[in-house]
Amino acid sequence: MDVFVIGQAVHKPAARIGDKRLEELVFDTTHAALADAGVKRAQIDHVTIAGCDELDGRSISSMLLAAPAGAQLRDEMKCTDSGLTGLCLEAMRLEAEIFDLGLLVSWSKPSTAPLEDVMRMRCEPFYTRPVGLNMAITDGLFAQAAGAKYGFDEFDADEAVLDSYRRAGRNPRGMGHAVPHVEAIATSPYVATPLRQAHQAPITDGAVAMVVASARWLKSNPRAKPLARVSGIGWRNEEYDLGADRLAGLSGFRATLDDALKMAGVKSTADLDLLELDSQTGFHELAYRAVLNGHAPKAISTSGGAFAQNPYFCTGLINAAEAILQLSDQAGPIQIPGAKRAVAHGSHGFAQQGNVAVVLERV
Amino acid sequence: MAKDIVAVIGAAQTKFKTHYADKTYIELAQDAAKLAMDEAGVTPDEIDAVVFSMAPTQFMGVNDCDRWATSHVWGAGKPYMRIHAGGATGGSALQAGYVHIASGVYRTVLVVGADRVAETPDAQHILNLIWDRFYEHDFALNTVTMTALAAQRYMARYGATEEQFARVVVRGRKNAMGNPYAHLKGAITVDDVMNSPRVAYPYKRFDICPRSSGAAAVVLSNLDVAKQKCARPAFVNGVSAITHSVFMGDRMGVYSETEFADHDGEHIAAYEAYRQAGITDPASQIQVAELYDPFSTFQFPIVEGLGFCGRGRAAAISDEGGWDMVGGQVAVNPSGGTLCTNPIGVTGLVRIVDAANQIMGKAGQNQLPGVHNAVATAAGGSTQFFTVTMLGDDHVAPRTNV
Repeated sequence: MDVFVIGQAVHKPAARIGDKRLEELVFDTTHAALADAGVKRAQIDHVTIAGCDELDGRSISSMLLAAPAGAQLRDEMKCTDSGLTGLCLEAMRLEAEIFDLGLLVSWSKPSTAPLEDVMRMRCEPFYTRPVGLNMAITDGLFAQAAGAKYGFDEFDADEAVLDSYRRAGRNPRGMGHAVPHVEAIATSPYVATPLRQAHQAPITDGAVAMVVASARWLKSNPRAKPLARVSGIGWRNEEYDLGADRLAGLSGFRATLDDALKMAGVKSTADLDLLELDSQTGFHELAYRAVLNGHAPKAISTSGGAFAQNPYFCTGLINAAEAILQLSDQAGPIQIPGAKRAVAHGSHGFAQQGNVAVVLERV
Repeated sequence: MAKDIVAVIGAAQTKFKTHYADKTYIELAQDAAKLAMDEAGVTPDEIDAVVFSMAPTQFMGVNDCDRWATSHVWGAGKPYMRIHAGGATGGSALQAGYVHIASGVYRTVLVVGADRVAETPDAQHILNLIWDRFYEHDFALNTVTMTALAAQRYMARYGATEEQFARVVVRGRKNAMGNPYAHLKGAITVDDVMNSPRVAYPYKRFDICPRSSGAAAVVLSNLDVAKQKCARPAFVNGVSAITHSVFMGDRMGVYSETEFADHDGEHIAAYEAYRQAGITDPASQIQVAELYDPFSTFQFPIVEGLGFCGRGRAAAISDEGGWDMVGGQVAVNPSGGTLCTNPIGVTGLVRIVDAANQIMGKAGQNQLPGVHNAVATAAGGSTQFFTVTMLGDDHVAPRTNV
């Protein structure tokens, strides 16, 4: 696959971005991405949007947000799974050779739509909704199942969270959360055994936009400097129903990585300089690392991942933006010298029903 | 012209009606998926990826209901994504499936969706929530009142009358009599339409589509698979989608690039799709048009935008039978169209199914002879999202072969 990110912008995160309407948040981020790429909106021939109506609190949120995302009188398509799924769709749109230069825009402002209320309504009405299933409970079930399978417990999760906060604390683009004391994590209230409140990555508001170009466009615009090449994409959904195998098997995570690496011609995750994981809890971080055991990349979640910022719907795309900064030597104090190849991971749905992976390479 | 050739090798839909009391949402989606795969002669194992077509989930009451449907449409363990563009969702989902294959990433893709619009007691209340919460919610703005405004503007510009719109309804219901899947059908008269209860000028009840429940699915493949599986595929030769500002007032007047009454976005999308498909004279080269026209007033500006006639001419041509299924210059909505069946999250996909089946010779009682090219449209939001898809019985050369 030969698709190139030539510019990007990540909005400054906050627990609540209260001084902007969602339209302004999206416009400002899109505008900054175009400026970073050095192109005008007039040059854009298509736009891919990744957004979630329910999290936006609107029935068709792209009605008001397509224009701020640059899509006025442009060919526009919207997926609703996750921000990183949007990058996969955008990459295919360019690879199909019907477009040359596109915008990918994703946002999430959960401060205006309580996440657990939205998630509870994801339950089907017959069995899981009446018993009160929600995201915290599914993550708790995941923690139980994965812990039993891979041999970790909540004390390990305490340490995993602590480590994530330490990495996040070094990322100047993150929230700058104070690194908590391990006892504060270990004594925070249970939300669904063994998951404690402090095991969960704090939810934030945010937005991210990228300008993405075809190889053909780059050839005809030699002055443009690509930040990174998208060389492989993968995304898979697992079953909606939660059984032990579904929860702990992580087959979607494995298959998604395999798909993306295979497309990029990469043999193993061990050949990566960086893997930015979308770990919504300390248990997720432990489980993903357990799957990678023996094939670990040189670095994992240098940015701090969701513990740096966590605009839930587009956290995976933020991971991609962080990986791109590494590959273009713009990661600042957390720069990995000479990083050549990275994977951004995203997840979505109850107990990571969906997984997404994108292989990015230095140009 | 894309990198790889894409074809519809199986297309199917369920019957549409107000309520399905005997099936859940996911069972409806499964029915359509199985029907389409049977038509294509493929098994679930032969499907590489799934695209799910679903508009606002508030209609049926389960957020992100595509996730619930994953296993039932044989998507578990596969690449799976949902596309949502309001009323244009089905058209956009088909085009997302198209890029899965045109990019060379996958060989066979299932595009499937379902909707149960009548699950909510008042769909128009949900559709009021699409508007800006600070400025527009309180205006009682919904899709009926919004499009009524556009219809009034069209009438003022071109002199179309309520009776002429009523003839569109009569023709659609008559065509739908030959469509076993259509929701509303029957022999009605212009007077029946004119005498139905007034809703919002110029609309009477019969000018407005029903709230439908049902499902649709399409199996797309690359040329190699199509050659193995299908004697007469419908090739996807052109795809385009144009998005406009949500603000209707910004789409009219001297400073506007387009004209609100004319559904101009559809025109832009159509001519891009035609360019890809090599269509230079749509009125003579296209035999069938399946339009997203949930209101009787949509048909005239759309057929004009598609280039079948000049602006302001469609109503007169309609009166002369120019859009009739038999004997018209272009057969417009031989299925009965969206006026007769509107499961919003898949309506655009139903248009594709009906158009593709005309190409493939599988349109049953409504099959028309000599269909070489068919166009399918969809529209959504504040009539701001427009998709146009060109289907043909032969493919255009892929870019890599040019």
